[in-house]
Amino acid sequence: MVVDTSATEFETQDLLLNVGPQHPSTHGVFRMVLEIDGELVKDLVPYIGYLHRGAEKLCENNDFRQGIGYMDRTEYLAAHNAELSYVMAVEALAEIEVPERAQWIRMILCELNRISSHFMFLGAFGVDVGVFGTPFIYGWRERERIIDLFEEISGDRMMFAYFRAGGLAWEVPLNFPERVREVLESARQGVKDFDGLLTQNEIFIARTKNVGVITADDAIEMGMSGPTIRASGVPLDLRKTEPYLQYDQISFETITADGGDVFDRYLVRLQEISQSIDLIEQCLERLEDGPIMPEKMPRMLRLPEGEVYIRTEAPRGEYGIYMVSKGGNKPHRLKVRSACLSNLQALKQMCVGQYVADAIIVLGSIDIVLSEVDR
Amino acid sequence: MSTEIFGFDGVNVWVDGLVRVLLIVGFMTVVVMGLIYGERKILARFQQRLGPTRTGPVGLLQSVADALKLVGKEDLRPRNADAWTFELAPYLVFVPVFLGFVIVPFVLDWQVRILELGLLYFVAVTGINIVGWIMAGWGSDNRYAMIGGMRAAAQGISYELPLVLSLLAVAMVVEVPSDSATGESLRGSLNLNEIIAAQAEIPNLVWQPLVLIVFFIAALAELNRTPFDIPVGESEVVGGPFVEYSGIRWSMFFLAEYAALLIMSLIFAAVFLGGWAWPAGLFQDDPWPRWAQALLVTGKAGLFIFMVFWVRASVPRLRIDQLMSFTWKILLPLMFAQVLINGLVLVYDWPEIVLTVTGLVGVLVLVMAVDRAVRHPRPRPAPATQLEGEAAS
Amino acid sequence: MRGILKSLATTLSTFSRRPVTRLYPEGHRDLPERDRAFPVLLWDKDIDEPFCTGCHACERACPVECMTVTMTDNPNHTTNDGNSKRRKIVDKFYIDYARCMRCNICVEVCNFEAIAMNNTWQGHETSVYDRADLVMDLPQLLVQSKAKQLEEWVPE
Repeated sequence: MVVDTSATEFETQDLLLNVGPQHPSTHGVFRMVLEIDGELVKDLVPYIGYLHRGAEKLCENNDFRQGIGYMDRTEYLAAHNAELSYVMAVEALAEIEVPERAQWIRMILCELNRISSHFMFLGAFGVDVGVFGTPFIYGWRERERIIDLFEEISGDRMMFAYFRAGGLAWEVPLNFPERVREVLESARQGVKDFDGLLTQNEIFIARTKNVGVITADDAIEMGMSGPTIRASGVPLDLRKTEPYLQYDQISFETITADGGDVFDRYLVRLQEISQSIDLIEQCLERLEDGPIMPEKMPRMLRLPEGEVYIRTEAPRGEYGIYMVSKGGNKPHRLKVRSACLSNLQALKQMCVGQYVADAIIVLGSIDIVLSEVDR
Repeated sequence: MSTEIFGFDGVNVWVDGLVRVLLIVGFMTVVVMGLIYGERKILARFQQRLGPTRTGPVGLLQSVADALKLVGKEDLRPRNADAWTFELAPYLVFVPVFLGFVIVPFVLDWQVRILELGLLYFVAVTGINIVGWIMAGWGSDNRYAMIGGMRAAAQGISYELPLVLSLLAVAMVVEVPSDSATGESLRGSLNLNEIIAAQAEIPNLVWQPLVLIVFFIAALAELNRTPFDIPVGESEVVGGPFVEYSGIRWSMFFLAEYAALLIMSLIFAAVFLGGWAWPAGLFQDDPWPRWAQALLVTGKAGLFIFMVFWVRASVPRLRIDQLMSFTWKILLPLMFAQVLINGLVLVYDWPEIVLTVTGLVGVLVLVMAVDRAVRHPRPRPAPATQLEGEAAS
Repeated sequence: MRGILKSLATTLSTFSRRPVTRLYPEGHRDLPERDRAFPVLLWDKDIDEPFCTGCHACERACPVECMTVTMTDNPNHTTNDGNSKRRKIVDKFYIDYARCMRCNICVEVCNFEAIAMNNTWQGHETSVYDRADLVMDLPQLLVQSKAKQLEEWVPE
């Protein structure tokens, strides 16, 4: 046997590492194939679609009240925000005026849902970074209190189906303001705990600073939105730039950071929790008695012909509903514009050149909800 | 060749050794079960949870139930796994840890054997388990396991150095009780019993603050505990080398992990906190009874174990490159400096307060070095376009 | 190092707080009255028959089509010497709990307030070994209301 010894270089091969769909930190059924050289990621190919249930098509076969239930399931961590986009699209087409009280309550619930969703992010992200379970329990602890409140209001813990075209399904309980204030008090403690646990921790900073950087230009090009783009320094907050509900009535500042790295995405979300707490308190002051549904609502809503695109600021970014109506009680076409899907596009750009462990936390920092990505 | 055990005279040394080893293996297994339960309960409290509550009163039998379940599970081996490597790996992790118990001084004159080179034996024997980790990682024919095994090897070897140096730094300056024949004061011993006896009045904790901290950090890394649980990082490599193991083999890894924690805590108690001698040694004419000494050692070891659990509940995981730079660029130079100073103290007979002062300065340097490293993070990597790659498509 | 010490202090502070979890099957949390488990039918205690007339309103409104209803003449109607004012009454009623998505629409569309969302723990703890066992028939749907174990909450 002749061995060729003239070759001066070894031929090396990169390792393909399949992460997901069953992996503890893919946050659902996301799959990505990493091409790694040692510990360095050289390429990344994401695969989505494992959770596709055809929610858009289902909505096209259901009337406008039935569709709300499906919207909950596209974005299960912030179902109020998903419902909001949907009912606002219907209201825009049907030209329904929503009573003021209903708008304020909607705002409070959406902001509460933002808090619960962000706590969920902080918890899952903390586990991704490697703290054994502690942030997870902190996050769940706060989320649980908010969910208990949602249950008292709407009856369900995640799939609320509480908003209706025109207003709300039913009136909130009498002790609503007090209960909200109680929950906010505990959420403040939660923010404090997270702040103490992670924000200044040297290991956490070393792990997250300058990791998964995306510049403002790239982020805009990718169509990113929500806290993910705000961390790159783009002040895109639909509550501020295109106020809906009563967001123009209350005062708040768009929270941005300029690093565009994982740490900034964490920090923006943490600050947004405090901001939402502040927003809810303003809302509670403005909350007055009144009707929660317009006077005249037809039993079965029929829309005129037309099309509309409504977008709102969900916890993960711009949650848009594009609805085409050709008359009748069902939408002709419904398209959900998912913030997670757009944000996920930047994953490769953020991960290539980093370590395998970084790819995991970058994915965590985007805060995807797979049911929203795949719908 | 005969010795004395439990009051029986003239017992063959081999029989004596065997009895002691068997006693320790049995005792350790029970203690490890307690440790697992303790860890789960303590971590649960850190996270405002209840922890195990189902099995037995307040979940006390949880570890027994776990052990029964693990023994009852099928011992799977992936079809493509390398049979010998895969099946032998758990033993190579498990056996060295238990060998280490040979020199551990539990209480005064109670251990398997007093070895003159006890500490050397300890680091030599427990270092073997890295081989087991690599074998587990390679033999499983799983990419996560392989990455985990490689990480374990890199980490285990790197942190062996500060660990050994920290033990060395203590051993070289420890004052051995003076030889009664010559009346000369001697320094330096690898015999754990002598090291403990030397701390009867003041534990090494006072003389060697830097070494204590470095030992703690290196021990965390050797034990693959947070923040150094990189080889087994659940959120990255899903258990690393263990990913393909199940049943009894997996439980051997598990047992070895906790036995290693226990032995490390006992060594810590012996080398830095004075084991059974301090503060009991202050009453040298009237030594404490054995049970009191045992309680003392348990308390000291328990402190170490609690710290490990506490750290586990509080800090994130480091990345592999940060882990390596931390040991090679920060810990190792500091330890070299400390060993050098200890050598100077040894040669020139400087007062021991020099050790404390330099140790405290070293701690300060360590803190500043970490802060500086955090303030200057890794630069941004090259953009995606500059790295070519073709992933599976 | 200061940050790590702060983390340790934070976990120590939670160490001293009370646990937030609880033992589940031993202790049940009080459910709010609006809690929505699965829909159940209500029993008219005055006349001793279900409220439901089998009008198919809920069946048509259900987004997931999990209901099947049939209607029959009420044998207890006043024309038959009974004491009920309902001319028609439910004959068979099936709800597939495995399909139901608990959206509350059936409760809203019902004209007779004959259906309500179960707000007891019994409604939540419905695990079975066979999926077919989750298809509830009329007696099963009525059993809780008949036994007066239900204080239903129906939105206006």
